[in-house]
Amino acid sequence: MNMVEKILACKSGQNSVAPGDVVVTDIDLMVMHDLSANFVMKVFDNEMEGASIADPSKLVFAFDHNFAPATRESAEALAAVRRFAAKHKIRHLFDCGCGSIHHVIMEAGLVTPGMIVIGCDSHTPIYGALGAFATGVGNNSMAALGFAHSKGWFKVPETLKIHFHGAPMKGVGARDVSQFLVGHLGEDGAIYKALEYAGPYIQSLDVNDRSLFPLQAIDVGGKCGFVNPDEKTVRHVRELLGDSAAGARVDLLQNDPGARYAQVIDIDVSRIEPQVACPPTVGNVKPIDAAVGTPINVAEAGGSTGGRLSDIRTLARCLTNRQVHPQVRLQVVAASRGIYLAALKEGLFEILHTAGANIFPPSAGSNQAFNMGALAEDEVMISTQARNFPGRNGHPKARHFLASALTVAASALTGRITDPRTLEDL
Amino acid sequence: MEDQIKGRVYKFGDNVNSDIIIAGRYLIYIDPAQLAEHAFEMLGDGFPSRLRNFDILVAGRNFGCGSAREQAATAIKGLGIKAVVAVSFARTFYRNAINDALPIVECPALYDVVAEGDEISIDMAKGIVSHGGHEYGFPGIPASVAKILELGGLANYLKSTLEAGKL
Amino acid sequence: MSQTIAEKILARKSGQARVSPGQIVDAYPDLVMSHTATWRSVSVMKKIGARKLYDPDRLAIVLDHISPAKTEKYAADQQTSRNFAREFGIEKFYDVDAGIAHLVLMEHGHVRPGDLIVGTDSHCTIYGALGALGSGIGYTEVASVWVTGKLWMKVPTTIKLTLEGGFAPGVGAKDLMLHLIGRLGADGCGYKSVEFYGAALRAMSISERMTMANLAMEMGSKCVFIPPDEKTLEWLLSRLKDPASYEPVSADPDAHYEQSIGAELSELAPMVACPHQVENTKPVTEVLGTRIDQAFLGSCANGKYEDLAIAAAILKGRRVDPRVRLIVTPGSKEIMLEAMRSGVLATLMESGALVTNPGCGACAGDGGMMADGEVSLSTANRNFIGRMGSNKSSIYLSSPATLAASALKGVIADPREFYC
Repeated sequence: MNMVEKILACKSGQNSVAPGDVVVTDIDLMVMHDLSANFVMKVFDNEMEGASIADPSKLVFAFDHNFAPATRESAEALAAVRRFAAKHKIRHLFDCGCGSIHHVIMEAGLVTPGMIVIGCDSHTPIYGALGAFATGVGNNSMAALGFAHSKGWFKVPETLKIHFHGAPMKGVGARDVSQFLVGHLGEDGAIYKALEYAGPYIQSLDVNDRSLFPLQAIDVGGKCGFVNPDEKTVRHVRELLGDSAAGARVDLLQNDPGARYAQVIDIDVSRIEPQVACPPTVGNVKPIDAAVGTPINVAEAGGSTGGRLSDIRTLARCLTNRQVHPQVRLQVVAASRGIYLAALKEGLFEILHTAGANIFPPSAGSNQAFNMGALAEDEVMISTQARNFPGRNGHPKARHFLASALTVAASALTGRITDPRTLEDL
Repeated sequence: MEDQIKGRVYKFGDNVNSDIIIAGRYLIYIDPAQLAEHAFEMLGDGFPSRLRNFDILVAGRNFGCGSAREQAATAIKGLGIKAVVAVSFARTFYRNAINDALPIVECPALYDVVAEGDEISIDMAKGIVSHGGHEYGFPGIPASVAKILELGGLANYLKSTLEAGKL
Repeated sequence: MSQTIAEKILARKSGQARVSPGQIVDAYPDLVMSHTATWRSVSVMKKIGARKLYDPDRLAIVLDHISPAKTEKYAADQQTSRNFAREFGIEKFYDVDAGIAHLVLMEHGHVRPGDLIVGTDSHCTIYGALGALGSGIGYTEVASVWVTGKLWMKVPTTIKLTLEGGFAPGVGAKDLMLHLIGRLGADGCGYKSVEFYGAALRAMSISERMTMANLAMEMGSKCVFIPPDEKTLEWLLSRLKDPASYEPVSADPDAHYEQSIGAELSELAPMVACPHQVENTKPVTEVLGTRIDQAFLGSCANGKYEDLAIAAAILKGRRVDPRVRLIVTPGSKEIMLEAMRSGVLATLMESGALVTNPGCGACAGDGGMMADGEVSLSTANRNFIGRMGSNKSSIYLSSPATLAASALKGVIADPREFYC
């Protein structure tokens, strides 16, 4: 069995499982942001009268789309979730300004290898980078099975293994490689499958960069994504939780030597150029050349994919002693309070601020334009966000390109979508 | 502008502020009809629809205080209100009303005697409000400024000045 | 002779030797500002068929109320403003990242003593902190000033306000103004100019004077003056393009005042404005223990560096009560940078605050909206019903010190216990 099969077997009390089996498992963690918490809560309250939450300590609410509600309706929705959390004694409530949900949860040390994590957000698979089986479920399943019984049912997926090797060229990072894979497989390239990201390239990445891969599992229709936990994973988790954590489980999670895969794909990372997902969809990934020269109005580094400390450092490095192009509004959104404080203390925000960037509170940033990120019809944004569908960021005809933090930085300098390899002293 | 403005009165108290008249979230509109749908919304149930049965607002002191938002005057006009009579106006509302061609009258004497639903009549030229058989005088708007009101507001005034080449 | 500051400025700007209260003049403002409302003035200009501005150099545009856009309509309106600025070569254009218009314009040296400034915001009175005559008007009138260069103004009478003594620890300019607004009423200075004097004034920082000139609007003032002194000139020196270019205006010794009012600062307690009117003021001691859900530190009244620093000094090493959402919005880019450099920003974040990008923020409903039954304490200048969300929510106004103390306790608290 591979890691996912081992976890599903263990959590359903079986010795082994195989793709196609339907299993009922315990759930270790249920995660919802401010929008989904509100939806699930309504299902629970309106359609499950009399039910109670089996184990409130397994629920996590993190308000990230709203950092300061911009409408009365949003305020009411958040107030309702707070009341629900208080009533049901849900301890893990991270209120507005905590950051981007998945980074907040990872930094809080709530996920460890071997866990099953479900969320109503399609990017929940991100926790596969920590050796968890993590996937998105619907509001009804979350309420009916998750809340009420701390259980879930899953059909054991087939696994598609992607073996990454080679060293990336200068100007190319994990985000580009992950986006390349999405373009390569297509939006239906891995439907219902688990994706395993493996190979020397993946092993060379830290957990933060590894997380970019399972984050995008949904973009190819995948059920979940994972990296087989190794020393780096253990060290990462120990730093968050202390020595007692994680170590023992990792042994039990290693892929068996004979583990079978539906398909094994080999990717030579050294041939990958900087990538960009062009409107209207995440799967419309092309080498940067396809978009180079497009004038932009807004550039943003933020969200689960671009508000990490490494991204902010990248931006600061590119913008030291330089100015953001006068036609561009550069928005920087840290993915957690810890990252915000670190960026402050390292002087990164001062560099960016002086260069002309606008620093926002830790949150999901322009994701769905709750507090920021609405564009006019003729405007163009390039960002590190996870989705670029029409209408998500203001006018349906506004254009939103997705790329790495480095590409965003380069573009913010020139005022047009720019190949970061053309930047001086990269 | 009509010489005689007649109609039923709705009465407000003192310090009816800009946010009560039209909330900040509606300043995305400048159309009187769109604004009227949200006029006085903050007062709760029945507003603004109940105001559509009245023609003239009568208010206490400092009507329209607070923000300089012109849409406070526009929203009231959009409701079909023909004039506002107050004990006193906030200066920004006063200016905005003139600029939006909403007749305003400073007449402290009327406030204590009038009740909701009463019929009153205002003669802007003579500076007289008639109510229940009595007449109350009010100071006229300075002539140079009254021109703006007479020409249908500042935008119209400017347009005709421009067209006449007098700018 | 015997002219007040307002009389002198209006005489100068209408090309006359002298004017009298009640007289209507055609005045030519040195600066006409507009903020997020700019698109409305642009639409008026289109409607009247005007193609030329009287003087593009006299226009200032700052996109501050909704920054940045969170709906398609706001985004489109902001593009209209940007396009207008570009088309007409408006140099004094500041985008959604700049901060609050009034603070930005003063920081960038666009406000000089003796200037006449009008704009689409009632808190233009704030320019009086630098000795300029600032007054709010509507967007149609702004378009009119854009095109004609002038507007009619009625010369106001003037109230003389003299301040004696000094603030007790924990008490400041915001408390003084809330006290005065409660005393004089929302229309206490309606249509009038207010001139501040007194030994106490000399001790006040420029930031405190800005708070005073800002809040003066809430007692109905048409304009307000804090006559420039050495402090003002020093503040201006590094900011004005041409320091020699202005002519500060002071009242004649025999100027006629309609009224003279005094205030003894040492007698003042921290004050709070209770829902839902600014004039509904009480000493903080009468509302201690009022539960709050949210605390907002910011606005053109109290979003300046000094205000953030006062709050940070109280919050340092402590944690905001978990029931309170503390939102901090620096008033401008410059203020945010200073807060980064001095450690104030880190202190605020570490205490549990949410620090936003610079702008008007929650004061004008841009974020920080409340649900039914919620209560906010705010350092802004208005607490009108529904301004920050539900019409069943409440806003109390206070100083930054009171705000910080209350955020720590989870209820409205007296800041003076942090000043022993």
